[in-house]
Amino acid sequence: MNPSSSRRTALKAGAITVFGAALPFSGAHAQSRYAKYAGQTVTINIPAHPHYDAMVKLIPEFTKETGIKVEIDKLAIGRLKEKQLLEMAKPQGDYDLACYIVMWKGEYVAKNLVQPLEPFFANPALADPGYDMKDIIPIYLENLGLVGGPKGYLAGTGAKLYGMPYGAETSVLAYRRDIFAKLNLKVPETYEEFGKTLRVLKDQSGIGALTSRGQAGHQCVHAWLLHLNPLGGSVFDDQWRPRFNDATGVAALKFLQEVVATGPAGIPGFGQGEANTAFLQGQAAMYLDSTSLAGVVNDPARSKVVGNVSWALHPKGVRRASQSGGLGLTIPKNARHADAGFLLMQWLTSKPQDKAVTRLGGAPMRNSTMSDADIVRQYPEFIVFKEALKYSNPDWRPIIPVWDRINVQALGVGISEALTGKKSAEDALNGLVAPVTAIMREAGYKV
Amino acid sequence: MRASRWTVAGYIGPAVLVMAAACLYPVLTAFQLAGFRWDMGTPWSSAVWVGWDNFRAAAGNPQVWQSLWVTLLFAAVCVTAEMLLGIALALALEHPVRGMAVFRTIFILPMMIAPIAVGLAWRYMFDAQFGLINALLGLAGIEPLTWLADPTLAFVAIVVADIWQWTPFVFIMMLAALAGVDGSVLEAARIDGARWWQQILLVKLPMVMHVIAITLMMRLIDAFRVLEVIYVLTFGGPGNSTEILALHIYKTAFIGQQLGVAAAVSVLLLVVVAALSWGALRLSDPLKDSA
Repeated sequence: MNPSSSRRTALKAGAITVFGAALPFSGAHAQSRYAKYAGQTVTINIPAHPHYDAMVKLIPEFTKETGIKVEIDKLAIGRLKEKQLLEMAKPQGDYDLACYIVMWKGEYVAKNLVQPLEPFFANPALADPGYDMKDIIPIYLENLGLVGGPKGYLAGTGAKLYGMPYGAETSVLAYRRDIFAKLNLKVPETYEEFGKTLRVLKDQSGIGALTSRGQAGHQCVHAWLLHLNPLGGSVFDDQWRPRFNDATGVAALKFLQEVVATGPAGIPGFGQGEANTAFLQGQAAMYLDSTSLAGVVNDPARSKVVGNVSWALHPKGVRRASQSGGLGLTIPKNARHADAGFLLMQWLTSKPQDKAVTRLGGAPMRNSTMSDADIVRQYPEFIVFKEALKYSNPDWRPIIPVWDRINVQALGVGISEALTGKKSAEDALNGLVAPVTAIMREAGYKV
Repeated sequence: MRASRWTVAGYIGPAVLVMAAACLYPVLTAFQLAGFRWDMGTPWSSAVWVGWDNFRAAAGNPQVWQSLWVTLLFAAVCVTAEMLLGIALALALEHPVRGMAVFRTIFILPMMIAPIAVGLAWRYMFDAQFGLINALLGLAGIEPLTWLADPTLAFVAIVVADIWQWTPFVFIMMLAALAGVDGSVLEAARIDGARWWQQILLVKLPMVMHVIAITLMMRLIDAFRVLEVIYVLTFGGPGNSTEILALHIYKTAFIGQQLGVAAAVSVLLLVVVAALSWGALRLSDPLKDSA
């Protein structure tokens, strides 16, 4: 048994043990579960994001079914964390449910700002007996939900569930099958083939080869991590010492520099929006990033490449290692209506609502949704996505509490400088070792 | 009749109290915060007194000095261009012209738009693939430029956005000041044979120098505080080529979670802005002259 499958088995077993124990006592009917909270107003904080745009459309049905009203506080994703930190630090906050980016989970738990979910799921008055925790895609549950354990952010002894995946994603390759057919190109399966394909597309397709994020800060680090993982690298070694400047780190950054050189013009300024737009507007022949693009790629209002896009697995380097990340839902410690907030979270992540949000263009978080015949008919790419999830790396980035600082204020500056040509890949990464080590020491790591 | 001290205190007292609450309290809080290590989202009781450590950390961080340099360059270029353009526009449009009300309204529109919207609008306009700027350059036969992907061009982009938004402020201030210039003085200058440029440089502008000084000071202060437009347009990049001090403070506080260090850098920013404002007022201090 390989380590990732043993981890999944352990995760499933843990989930069954923790949450299955409550099932015999959870025979209450849905109506009685909600009756006590009817008339309450749950405030949920969400980002402007396609998955949550789809979610908003489901809310009237929730209120109709439960009598619980929902107030939505929608913010630009970049402003979400500062507002949440301010709200969650108050003795009693305004949010009963909050959407977070995976990178914040460790920090929120370390600051004691969010509640563990086990007591809610173990409460027969609240838990839905048909919830089926085992059906939730294990990698999403681990990556988005678990905090604690040996590394602090992965499954293992001491790990607890603090959030549910909702808007989770992995990475896949999207490509223009019309251009690949015209140029008689094979879809790259390995990084070696991938690199060669970039050049061919640049020289022969008339558009950029691969679109990519590249803006300073989180965006360019995300793009670099997409290549670092399959090439066998990681940010830290087992003792938390920086190893991102080793041969694999440099190779990943050089690959990203090649992506910039062969891609649509302007990648070092691209956020996720610009990177997606370049592909959707026909300026790039390939896209390697979040599965969230699937919701819009065949929407004629937003895409000029409708009907011309096929999907493939993230190419393999020395290993297959696609992204793990995205968004989750958590209950703040100072929530005024924590139980009602939990009921909304449980309802949104239930089997029927996961299918409903997926039909509306959202991201599924359950295996049953990914395998549903009607859904697969609507989104045939889910066959590839399901396969990609087998290779999703839960340790794709070190989601320790200081990761955001390392990500944006250290790596995000140096990598950006390498993408504009101000520094070589080696110089950029070597120059980052000292500041990253200093941040780790300041955070209490003995490195 | 001389008013008693108590009467004077009664009149200005409320204003002083409001000013103290609204202005002084946050400044003093920033000074206090600069002495502590405190993570946002944790109770204040967990804050640890660190004395001057945050100031030492700020002073020892090369990114702070790089950001200060970017800020000074940004402020110098933007404010100089805005003052020259604003004064020139005001001089050009000070006389009654047909449709003037429409012109004036159009000119002040940029100032009324929320900075986030300004940032987004310019981000689209500077887009390398689909942006309006490159489309216009294309009409002139110029190859598309990767505005936000090149350190120099990205700096130009943030300067252009700021000039576009804040030149109208200078324009309005100068228009109001020029309207108050005594016509008889200009008449006398004309009779004495002054040419048009002599009337402007030697008569009109010296007469409105107080307003120029105040406008310059206000623009300098604003140029040091600008955040949203650059946050949206470049997020300080590429590298940290457009990371002005306000954005550095934002990142240090809200991403790095180092509120104490961010407060220490804010104090540095306050000192720089105060020094520059003092310099601007040295040009012509309206309070001094009216005393």
